[in-house]
Amino acid sequence: MTAPTWVLATDTALLTTCVELARGAGGPVTVVAAGPRELADAAAAAGPDRVLWAEPEADRPAESLAPTIAAAAADAGVRVLVSTVAPAARALLGAAATAVSASVVAGAVALSVDGDALVVERSALDGAVLETLATAGALALVARGDEVAAPDGAPAPVEPLAAGPVADLRVVSRTPVGGASGVRDAERVVSIGRGVRAKADLELIGTLTSALDAEIACSMPIADDLGWVPKERYIGRSGQHIAPRLYLAVGIAGMPQHMEGVRDAKVVAAINNDPAAPIFRTADYGVVGDLYEVVPALVEALRE
Amino acid sequence: MRVAAVYKWARGVDGATVHADGTVQWRVTKMVAGEDDHAVLAVAQALAGDSDGSVVGLTIGDGDASWALARGVTETVSVADAPSLTDEAATAEILAAAVTSLGGVDVVAVGDAEEHPGVAVALAGKLGWGVVAGVTRAAVTGGRVAAVRRVGDVEETVSAATPVVLGVAAEAAEPKAPGMKELLAARKRPVTTTTLADLGLDPVDPVDQRGTRVPEVTAARLFDGEPADAARALVAALRNEGVLR
Ligand SMILES: Cc1cc2nc3c(=O)[nH]c(=O)nc-3n(C[C@H](O)[C@H](O)[C@H](O)COP(=O)(O)OP(=O)(O)OC[C@H]3O[C@@H](n4cnc5c(N)ncnc54)[C@H](O)[C@@H]3O)c2cc1C
Ligand SMILES: Nc1ncnc2c1ncn2[C@@H]1O[C@H](COP(=O)(O)O)[C@@H](O)[C@H]1O
Repeated sequence: MTAPTWVLATDTALLTTCVELARGAGGPVTVVAAGPRELADAAAAAGPDRVLWAEPEADRPAESLAPTIAAAAADAGVRVLVSTVAPAARALLGAAATAVSASVVAGAVALSVDGDALVVERSALDGAVLETLATAGALALVARGDEVAAPDGAPAPVEPLAAGPVADLRVVSRTPVGGASGVRDAERVVSIGRGVRAKADLELIGTLTSALDAEIACSMPIADDLGWVPKERYIGRSGQHIAPRLYLAVGIAGMPQHMEGVRDAKVVAAINNDPAAPIFRTADYGVVGDLYEVVPALVEALRE
Repeated sequence: MRVAAVYKWARGVDGATVHADGTVQWRVTKMVAGEDDHAVLAVAQALAGDSDGSVVGLTIGDGDASWALARGVTETVSVADAPSLTDEAATAEILAAAVTSLGGVDVVAVGDAEEHPGVAVALAGKLGWGVVAGVTRAAVTGGRVAAVRRVGDVEETVSAATPVVLGVAAEAAEPKAPGMKELLAARKRPVTTTTLADLGLDPVDPVDQRGTRVPEVTAARLFDGEPADAARALVAALRNEGVLR
């Protein structure tokens, strides 16, 4: 019989993607849901064979369950573990990987079996290359990918995971930050970078946001160093993660730390005068040109 | 508290060229510290400062110990012959053995790197310690570590008993790098070097690389030429996508 595969989940992000990746190992797939009942139910609908549900005590973070889940993984003889990059899920992965002596590989996008070996394809070098890796041993994967729709069909059964040892971690405060900025839920976002030369040029950008009925956002230096746009409007790893239908980047280089914030945007378009700008490697559409010429032209074209 | 600040020293991603056939070639580029490592050190120094404690720098392989010495760390240990491994658990195993041999460490702060998001959590696994990942700053309160991180729109503070591993993520580039004077002084300070043999390790990498290929990305559809024409073409494309009002 093929060894079991466990997906470790602490939130609903990329749940179905992780289950699909886990299917590549060929064995039965269990989602271990560490969180409230709603998480277990979402996991049950994501296409696994079963769900093991563990709820952390009140005021404890999901990763307090790491020792319990690690011990259970060892008992079950798990060979493949999958988590997202979410810090709590990764904490569970690190503990379980040690318990089953698994290698740890990040950026995993596909998994298959070749004889006795597990073969994983993973994204490396900021997405510039896909690397094929193989191991005869157990494997813990940090998954990467896009959200996919949950499959049709009856939900998998949910069983409780027996209580066990917990790590001494407590959530002492939770404070909302930067949620009220309007850019979070906007359908269209115009985002400016250091290609914009002066604060006064925000007026020109304003004509574009009005024409598009868009919210304004920016790269980190525009908010942090220059202070031209409020801090809760900068996009990226350290800033907002948004999913608008249109993200129009104006004078933004497109560094990976910035682009992480718009991975879930439907369409990314960019205006940049450098044809070699990294943003043109990830955008869907681009205009190569001086933003001071292209922005007025765009406003004009939108009126037509 | 005695805090170990783990840092790495490697070729930066921009030193790699990916050829059309998917092979990767590394140009001779200067080595750089991990992107998160300045934040790792800041967290370690904050915890030591809060508790009258100390920071010990720890690096493996190519790690340049003077990086930490130039930033105010006085004690630093390097596992000089540690190889570069694909398996992040194997890297974590070396770090865990080094932390154990340091003795008396209460907190390990280590980069929660985008490229290597498994090292910090696997290190906690190997040590059998708790871990808080995605941390941006930390303090000591009531003998425990209060680690702050952002989860979506919420800033969360997690209080952890020691010993604990903190996976630290930088929010920006290093604010102020040390100057030449600090760097030169750092090179004169002592570094403790250990070897894999000293740690009783003989690392194997259970993960083999079978090859690399270029992902099939659809490059942006570019419009250039006259701004008016390019702008019209872009608007048409966006209307077609149904993303305009
Ligand atoms: C740990 C860490 C975390 C970070 N987190 C974030 C983050 O969350 N968000 C973020 O944004 N950044 C982040 N950064 C910074 C990031 O790496 C980049 O430095 C930053 O995004 C660059 O901003 P930019 O594109 O506006 O500026 P630049 O890199 O200066 O790019 C400006 C662009 O404008 C173009 N341009 C210039 N003039 C014109 C013109 N007239 N017309 C058209 N185009 C023009 C140029 O060709 C260039 O591509 C982080 C960095 C680190 C180290
Ligand atoms: N946080 C870390 N501390 C020490 N070494 C690390 C860390 N993260 C990764 N490494 C190792 O550093 C080496 C260089 O990695 P790379 O950035 O891929 O060139 C590899 O052997 C990694 O496993």
